[in-house]
Amino acid sequence: MTIEEQIREIMARITRVDESLITRESTFKDIKADSLDVVQALVAVEETFGIEIPDEEAQKFKNFGDFVAYVENGVAQKEGV
Amino acid sequence: MSLQGKLALVTGGGRGIGRAIALKLASQGADIIVDFFRRRDTAEQTAKDIEALGVKAEAIRANVGDPAKIDEMFDMIGNKFGHLDILISNAASGVGRPVMDIDTKAWEWTMDINVRACLLCAQRAAKLMEGRGGKIISLSSLGSFLVWPTYAIVGVSKAALEALTRYLAIELAPRGICVNTVAASFVDTEALKFYFDEQLNRANLPITPAGRMVTPEDVANVVAFLCSDEAFMIRGQTIIVDGGFSIYTPLFALEKKD
Repeated sequence: MTIEEQIREIMARITRVDESLITRESTFKDIKADSLDVVQALVAVEETFGIEIPDEEAQKFKNFGDFVAYVENGVAQKEGV
Repeated sequence: MSLQGKLALVTGGGRGIGRAIALKLASQGADIIVDFFRRRDTAEQTAKDIEALGVKAEAIRANVGDPAKIDEMFDMIGNKFGHLDILISNAASGVGRPVMDIDTKAWEWTMDINVRACLLCAQRAAKLMEGRGGKIISLSSLGSFLVWPTYAIVGVSKAALEALTRYLAIELAPRGICVNTVAASFVDTEALKFYFDEQLNRANLPITPAGRMVTPEDVANVVAFLCSDEAFMIRGQTIIVDGGFSIYTPLFALEKKD
């Protein structure tokens, strides 16, 4: 599974929204993620990929695509790619 | 300095009330472990500010809502220091909702962080206090018995925390551990801005006889006293720090008009 697919699965599990409805353009509001959902998603993603996502960075995510891009970048840096 | 050579863990110690407590205990000579979860920057800054007071400080990341993370944190403390003298269970979270909108996810999130974590941390801390005694102080809130808009889950979690404090106080007394809780009213922190707007803040001022809002330092002063040996005979209590807010009645406002 790609990073994007794994994050989509986590978001879908937490928000109980069907995975097919979560696109790169979806905002947290679109997928009915409240602030608790977002924190829980951040924690789950952090643990899955062994990275840290500061709140101040997460607040800049405009949509799911930004979230995925941040994690992809974080994972690449961690692996020294 | 009364806490010279003591080691304290402050959960949620990077900002707000936790930071004020960490700095206060450090100013009395204690070395401090600053636990944080979401804000590494503020926790590392707090650790630096503590070190500037001439004691040791360490910031460690642990989500106390996760029992495995609590275990990891205490394993680290046990391996590195081998003991603990003071546990401040300050980390808290919550979801602001009317009772009809509370779901199991919001309930569990709040209870896990605000109550279960205090039990699990106390259990692990008590073992690190073996043979030397210690102090366990948790942070409650007046919302445990006053009713505030959308504060239900947090209020209930704090009521449970106060009950837990009483049980811990009695059962840990034979180990030489003093357990108490400090409950404040509205304290000027980032968390307050999250739950209540400035307007509500201003509304509370006229009904606070002390004439000003409670500061994180006001709370820290009382916590530091409870960490001292002078407070040895205070056990299982909830000490209220609210400038008289919770016992004030509107009748006094009428009296002033005459």
